Amino acid sequence: MSAIDHYINTIMEQGAAEAGEDGSAAIEAHHLLLAIAAHEGTAPHRLLTGAGLGRREIRDALDREFEHSLAAVGVSPSSFPLPAPAPDPGRRPKPGASAGLALERALTACGGKKRDLRPAHLLLGVLTAGIGTVPRALALAGADRAALIARTQESLAGGDW
Amino acid sequence: MPAEELPVPPDPADALAAVVALRRLAERLEDAAVEQAMRAGWSWPDVAEALGVTRQAVHKKHAKRLIAAGVTLRRRR
Repeated sequence: MSAIDHYINTIMEQGAAEAGEDGSAAIEAHHLLLAIAAHEGTAPHRLLTGAGLGRREIRDALDREFEHSLAAVGVSPSSFPLPAPAPDPGRRPKPGASAGLALERALTACGGKKRDLRPAHLLLGVLTAGIGTVPRALALAGADRAALIARTQESLAGGDW
Repeated sequence: MPAEELPVPPDPADALAAVVALRRLAERLEDAAVEQAMRAGWSWPDVAEALGVTRQAVHKKHAKRLIAAGVTLRRRR
């Protein structure tokens, strides 16, 4: 198995764990972003932390986006004071539509050849979505998504892993 | 609340994001509420009827998680 296959498998497994923690049946693009941010020793990790976006900061931004989106229709998650449900150790989240799009965009970004894929392409695949939870969360966190995309492209041009 | 006072997000992106967030909240709420009911001794048919789904559906979705969490479940009737 190639290094990029190992990386993608690790991100998908960690993404599934993030989805499970969320109680989500699907791995979505924001779960991939959390997984990418948690995986040290790669260009995407350096790019994200360099922009002040560690896993914790991204998790906080996603929580804010959730609350903000609910507030738009007058709902507050704290209106339902039920205890947190027990996690489901048997749940195996499958890739959702947004994760599929992120992977497609990553492949497109590297010219459609899987052998040319590098971790930063995966980050690019997540970041280049202009619609959805990830761009909304990053905007609410005050992150400059366009600048982060530009730095990711520079990193790829520089041959970083 | 009268219909004219219901909050309507003016931006379609906000309205669509609200749909996504409400679905997520509903899933979490269902997990928590079913667990609370089963811990309180409700039966599968009663929980299913309250949710408006079949007992097979509610059992399939929640039984393994609740068993793993150590919840004592009433036998299905």
